[in-house]
Amino acid sequence: MQVKEEKINKDKFARSFRSPIPILLALVAVVFCIPLVVKDPSWLQLAILTMWYAYLTCSWNLVGGFAGQLSLGHAAFIGIGAYTSTALYLHFGLSPWIGMFVGGAFAVVAAITVFYPCLRLLGAYFALASIGFAELIKILTENTTKIFGIEIRGPRGLSIPPLGHAPFHYQFVNKAYYYYTILIMLLIAWFITYRISKTKLGYCLSAIRNDVEAAQSLGVNISKCRLMAVSLSAFLSAIGGTFYAQLLLYIYPEAVMGIMLSCELAFIALIGGRGTVMGPIIGALIYVPASELSRIYLSGGRFLGVHLMLLGIVVMAVMLFQPGGLMRPIGRVYTRWVKKLEPRVQKV
Amino acid sequence: MVIIQALINGVLMGGVYGLTALGLTLIFGVMKVINWAHGSFIMVGMFAGYWLWTLTGIDPYLGLIIIVPALFLLGYFVQDALIKPVFRSEVGVREPIGVLILTAGLWLFIDNFALLLFGPFYRTARTPYSGLTYDVGGLLISAPRLYAFIITIVAAYVLSTFLKKTRLGIAIRATGQDRDTASLMGIDVYRIYNIAFGIGIAITGLVGSLLVPFYYIHPQAGFVFDIRAFIIVVLGGLGSVPGALLGGLLIGLIESVGAQFIPATLTQGIIFAVFLGVLYLRPQGLFGFEKEW
Repeated sequence: MQVKEEKINKDKFARSFRSPIPILLALVAVVFCIPLVVKDPSWLQLAILTMWYAYLTCSWNLVGGFAGQLSLGHAAFIGIGAYTSTALYLHFGLSPWIGMFVGGAFAVVAAITVFYPCLRLLGAYFALASIGFAELIKILTENTTKIFGIEIRGPRGLSIPPLGHAPFHYQFVNKAYYYYTILIMLLIAWFITYRISKTKLGYCLSAIRNDVEAAQSLGVNISKCRLMAVSLSAFLSAIGGTFYAQLLLYIYPEAVMGIMLSCELAFIALIGGRGTVMGPIIGALIYVPASELSRIYLSGGRFLGVHLMLLGIVVMAVMLFQPGGLMRPIGRVYTRWVKKLEPRVQKV
Repeated sequence: MVIIQALINGVLMGGVYGLTALGLTLIFGVMKVINWAHGSFIMVGMFAGYWLWTLTGIDPYLGLIIIVPALFLLGYFVQDALIKPVFRSEVGVREPIGVLILTAGLWLFIDNFALLLFGPFYRTARTPYSGLTYDVGGLLISAPRLYAFIITIVAAYVLSTFLKKTRLGIAIRATGQDRDTASLMGIDVYRIYNIAFGIGIAITGLVGSLLVPFYYIHPQAGFVFDIRAFIIVVLGGLGSVPGALLGGLLIGLIESVGAQFIPATLTQGIIFAVFLGVLYLRPQGLFGFEKEW
């Protein structure tokens, strides 16, 4: 009797590994300890950027993955977030901790008014429309020096005067603070996508992605679902934009609204596995360190553009050999490992 | 007078944009695939023309005889080796975007490979007629732009005659209309795709070498044309040949006439605004030709 109960408990334990929560907890435990060991700011910066990209790709994934609409214009939301919080801080002295929510609200407004009507467009048309949206916002920013008396200085960008260690103004000297900030943001964004994938909204979105008409005929409220996905995605992206502005203390339109940033997010999601919960994190873990290190060690010197060339090759290879993203083979190895665990438990 | 001058410049440049879009729209019309690397192939054509001119002294217009077939072959094999496998795996998918992503990867690869090879320098080819202008009643018409426009019109005419009159052209159109029926009629659909993609890329080679005498040559120069071509084909209706040419002229005119009134960088904003407006209101394109070739 005792043995049987133990068996069931162990079985449950093994089965619980089927959800991504346990590996994630283990990862988080490791990741939380990194700044205690690694003190070199450049390595911490790399880790911060990796998590920043993972965070943005998580929020991209709500539209690009779950809603199945390939967006190549998410940089617009990031830019809106970065510019709003920075301009409010420089002009009114409003703390970016509050400004980031204002930026998020603006991004949601932009998403609903401009981006959302595009969602009825299909596939490639939507991708083109989203590029048009982001480029339009970038060009308008580049050609505006003042908006309602608030300086945004066009293509020269905005720089935030460094204050040293000022937690209230979202500025830190020690990179570890940024590290923990983005880690918490990433966990929240990841948890939101995880929850959505397990709730009605997620099922509705995947129904819409697979067949719009069929979903509609089954009573799925298409506009409401898409509206929620897009607004949430825009809000999270904008907050990510504020983080970038505070991390680097300098923003300009091409960096935070450029088409390259939008494409990078889509590529990371595709490398990892579009529409999967773990895809963005795996994609960012593969892409960002490879890109940053090759940018530093290769592109900085003689080999200009090598890191983007490699990215192009990786994207093509993934599309040719693993169109579902690298999440799928990794997931297969993982489930095999879990299955191996189960019979061993039963033998007891 | 200034406005008329701007109109002429707009029409001349618009012709080149239209030709670029023509290649893109041909590929889309037949394969239902958007080629992201379109501008990159223009850049390849530009560099090919440039190096032929600077190294061997072959005139860019004469170089067309080499560059156009070479790029046709390049397009043929890129489609055969890279795009076809992805395309095949996505046959039953409702919204195939795998190829879009693949060509985006190709775009990154080609542009940055050129950056690696040639460096981030802006080059210009000094041909004898680069600065040549014709004075027509006080209006200045740049000679290379005029030649480019004339060749564009000829190329568009040749292409549409080819698609209408020859057996191969009819097969290409049939494949674009209905792939399954076309293959039932004994058309080797994947070969037609290879040829259509090859023709599209050959056109970018043509555009690239036409640009050599009067445009700056840079590894990222094609990207401007990429975005323009996307906008034009959507304006004109994806898959429509006359739509592509008219859309090209429209964009060229907006760009050059708009620059008379507002800063040139802002005219790009107008183009994107027009583009988004058309997508909202008339997703089938401004001119609404539904596959009129």
